[in-house]
Parts: sequence; C-alpha cells; structure tokens
Amino acid sequence: MPLTDKPELFLIVLEANKGIIYKVGNLYCREPEDRKDLVQEIILQLWRSFDNYNAQYKHTTWIYRIALNVAISYYRKESRRSAIANPLSEELLSFSVTDMADNAGESISLLYRFIAELKELERALMLLYLDEKSHKEIAEIMGITETNVATKIGRIKKVLKQKFSQVKNQI
Amino acid sequence: MEEQDIINLWKAQNVKIEQTLAINKQLLKEVVTQKARSAVSTFNRSKGWGIISFVIYLVILGNILAYAIRHYSPGLNYFIVSFAAIILINIKGLSDYIKHLVWVNAINYEGSITDIQEKLTKVQLSVVKHVRVMFLQLPFWTTFYLSSNWFPRDMGWGYLVFQALLTGSFAYAAWWLYTNQTIANLDKRWFRKLIAGSGGASIMQALIVYKEIEEFKQEGVL
Repeated sequence: MPLTDKPELFLIVLEANKGIIYKVGNLYCREPEDRKDLVQEIILQLWRSFDNYNAQYKHTTWIYRIALNVAISYYRKESRRSAIANPLSEELLSFSVTDMADNAGESISLLYRFIAELKELERALMLLYLDEKSHKEIAEIMGITETNVATKIGRIKKVLKQKFSQVKNQI
Repeated sequence: MEEQDIINLWKAQNVKIEQTLAINKQLLKEVVTQKARSAVSTFNRSKGWGIISFVIYLVILGNILAYAIRHYSPGLNYFIVSFAAIILINIKGLSDYIKHLVWVNAINYEGSITDIQEKLTKVQLSVVKHVRVMFLQLPFWTTFYLSSNWFPRDMGWGYLVFQALLTGSFAYAAWWLYTNQTIANLDKRWFRKLIAGSGGASIMQALIVYKEIEEFKQEGVL
C-alpha cells in the first residue's frame, strides 16, 4: 500500500472495529488507568502489524487475535504503567455522549464482572461467542478445534447462567 | 437469565458502544507517528540499562583478569582460574538473558491465541531455566583470593578445613540450585522467594497461563 494511504486506511479499519478494542480492554483491565494503557498498547501493535496484514483473514479476525494476545500478555509487565513508553494522559477511545460504564445498567455490569472472573482464555472465548462469531472463526482465532470451541462454550454458558441465578436468588 | 437474554444484552451494549465510542484522532495520529517509532519501550530501556551495567561489570572483571595474566606468576593460578570461570559463567548467563529478551520482543501477536501465548510463556519460563547457570559461579567466589604461594602449604589444618567446608558448601549449593531451579519447582515456596525480586510475579503468572493453555487445548476439558 502507498505509504501516504497507510494512516487513513488504518483509521478506517480502526473506526470499523473500535468496539472490539474497547471490549477487550474492558474485559482484561478493570482499572481505568491500566485500561487506557492497554488500549494504547493494542493500537500500537495493530499499527506495527498493519503492513503485514494477511488478507486471507478478515479484519475482525486479525484485530481479535492481536487485541486478545496483547491483553492476555499484559500481565507479564511487572509495572504496567511504566511498561508503556510515555503513558497517555488522555484516552484514545472515549465516549462522545456519556460514560458507558456509568450508564451500562446492572445486568451488563454483572455480565462484564462474571466474564472478568473467568480464566484468561475462557474470557477470550466468551467475548468471541457473545460477539456472535462462528465456531470456525473462533477456532481460527483461538487456535483450537471447532469441537473444542463448542464444548468449552457450552460449559462457560452454564457457569454464567449459574452465576446469574445465584445473584437472582440473593435478591 | 437465559442464554438469549445474555446475547441480547450484549448486542444492545454493542449498539451503544458503536454509537457513542469515539476515537481521539489527534491522539491516534500522535501515537502512530511518534510513539510507534520508539520500538524500545521504557520496559526494554530499563532492561537495556541493566544489560549495559552488567557488561561494564564484566569489562571490569575482564580487565582485572587480563592484568593478572599479563603479570602472571604461579601464585595467581587460583585467582586466574576462578576469575576466568566467573567471567565465562556470567557471559553465558548474560547471553542467554539477552537472547530471551530478543525472542520475547520478536514474537508478533498475529498468530492464534493459544499458539502465541504458548510461545510467550515458554520463552518467559525458559528465562528461569537459563538464568540458573549464574549459580554455578558461587564456589569460585570462595577460591579467587587463594594463592599457591601460601595455600595450602603454609596454612594450618583449621583453615584448610574451613576453606574445604566453605568451597564445598558453595559448590553443593550452586549444584543444588542449578539442578532444582526448574519449571517443575516453580510452585515451591523457596523458589518463589528466590525469584521474587527478578520478575517472579509475572513468571508465576506465565506458569498459570501455560497450565491453562495445556488444559485449554485438550478436547472436552474446561
């Protein structure tokens, strides 16, 4: 691709898939400061990989893979803030109307909380399932078989259902 | 809450996200044009400074050794052998460490989650395995000050026993640590304490994820 087009193309791809980055950031980092840095790290990795983008895969597959790999690897940084070159004072992704977290409602907050309680890889699997990716695409992103995807999603769904039931019973 | 309710809830949230989430274009431009050029993060810079300090330390040791060799006398045999061993072991340890840092940074994130995470955790865990070579220098720190001008000929039995115990215990400790500092022992308390100051927490996390990947890849296991 011509060098001058790269930032514009990148912005178009990012604009179309910004929700994925936001959701990954939200599911893997509960602390706002860490989340801001994680989003920056994901976008940086996407930018660095943009030249090597393999058209064999959909943009979404490429973004899910990079975003999830960066998020899961994020724990490796001993000091997360200092792990980032020049942490940003502002947010790369922000809400134009109001803060979604404040306006999200109890059920969605509970859902985020329950997913965040899952193990690292199960969390990725659940995000892909809820975003209605096919088993084939989930298998491609996760690197496991479609049968394995189906089995694991079935069990995670049961766990989530149980957690919602427990909360309901407590109320 | 039923399965379809959960999906509907998620979909409704997605619509809100798409409608209200905005990219800070000015900041994005700054990130991709300026910060991305700096491939070396603060994390790597601090590791880089550590490596430079270590190289300076090795250069100093090397110069002392070179001076001893230039002014060789049989009395310096213990010193030369000990320092040469210490320097070689440190060079091996440092080169392994640098090699692993390069590997960690060279892994791209475009592969499948299990594949990339497996590579990352393996590389991170192998740092533990390779850094253990550093322990092998322990006994040589108990012999470098000896001189064949006075050792063992002019020393009493008391000192000889003390020296043998000192070098023997350091040699045993070095061998024990070398053979026991393995991934299989990562869950032992003594090991956790030993690596606590050198990225121990993230290494433990790497082990947890590694085990999770192993389980995750198995069919029919959650």
